[in-house]
Amino acid sequence: MTREEAIDRINELLDSTDPATTNTSMRIPNALREAAALAVSELDVAPSTTVLAANALRMLLEGTVALAALELHYEEYPEFRPSLADLAIAAAELDGSPLAQQPDLLRRAASEIAQRHPDAEPEDVVLWAEARQYAAEEQKRIAAEQKGAA
Amino acid sequence: MNRLVLLDNEAVQALRDPRHQKHQRVLEKTQILFKRAVRTLSVRVAVPAAVRVEAGWDRTAPAWAFINRFPITDIPLDTGHADAAAGIAKRTGVSVADAHLGAAIKAADADHVTVITSDPGDMRKAAEGRQVDVVVL
Repeated sequence: MTREEAIDRINELLDSTDPATTNTSMRIPNALREAAALAVSELDVAPSTTVLAANALRMLLEGTVALAALELHYEEYPEFRPSLADLAIAAAELDGSPLAQQPDLLRRAASEIAQRHPDAEPEDVVLWAEARQYAAEEQKRIAAEQKGAA
Repeated sequence: MNRLVLLDNEAVQALRDPRHQKHQRVLEKTQILFKRAVRTLSVRVAVPAAVRVEAGWDRTAPAWAFINRFPITDIPLDTGHADAAAGIAKRTGVSVADAHLGAAIKAADADHVTVITSDPGDMRKAAEGRQVDVVVL
């Protein structure tokens, strides 16, 4: 089975409306089971531990399949593979960060952070840029205060 | 905290078609959203039925195979949504698809609702004051 076929088959199974269920022999740690039961009874996260586990597994599979589909797409069209800076700008836009209006700042931050942390995530870049901007503004403020005092 | 992300017609078109000038931009956002979905299990991406109609998104057509690989849920134009959308269209003059987006924003039970759109003005009109994050393509 190719990755493409696997993605399509997983999606087909996730879309299935077949109500049939099965008792699995999946073994999970006792502590995890107890934690899930408590989350259901005390925090109302789901009607039952079965629903909680099934929903979490479904969401994880859906997201994983989507990322696998994107990876296949980038293999076919490498020109569309986004850089860390591109993703940082997209993250800033999705989060309504004012830094989304300063793409050059985010690109510089991505370039800086990639040198120190090669596995940095787009959100790390936004945070780094915010911190740099804050530090620069503080320096300006202190310099202005010192100038005023003198 | 959960988040619902809605796509408008152009976002759908741009995601489907590598020749669309905004394909790259929508791919970047899609990648961020689904990475967060895996990490937090609290992000859902959806498209109102009327938007799908306007975009011509037929899930059975081979031309839509790529976008069909993403878990983008349909929001049906049921009685409640049709009533709400009819009111929005009448009051604001937005298109049927945008009115259904407005109805979906109103009905959403998510903590945060985001719309990815090429037309922020119409989207704000359709939301009729409801809290929504508008991300412009």
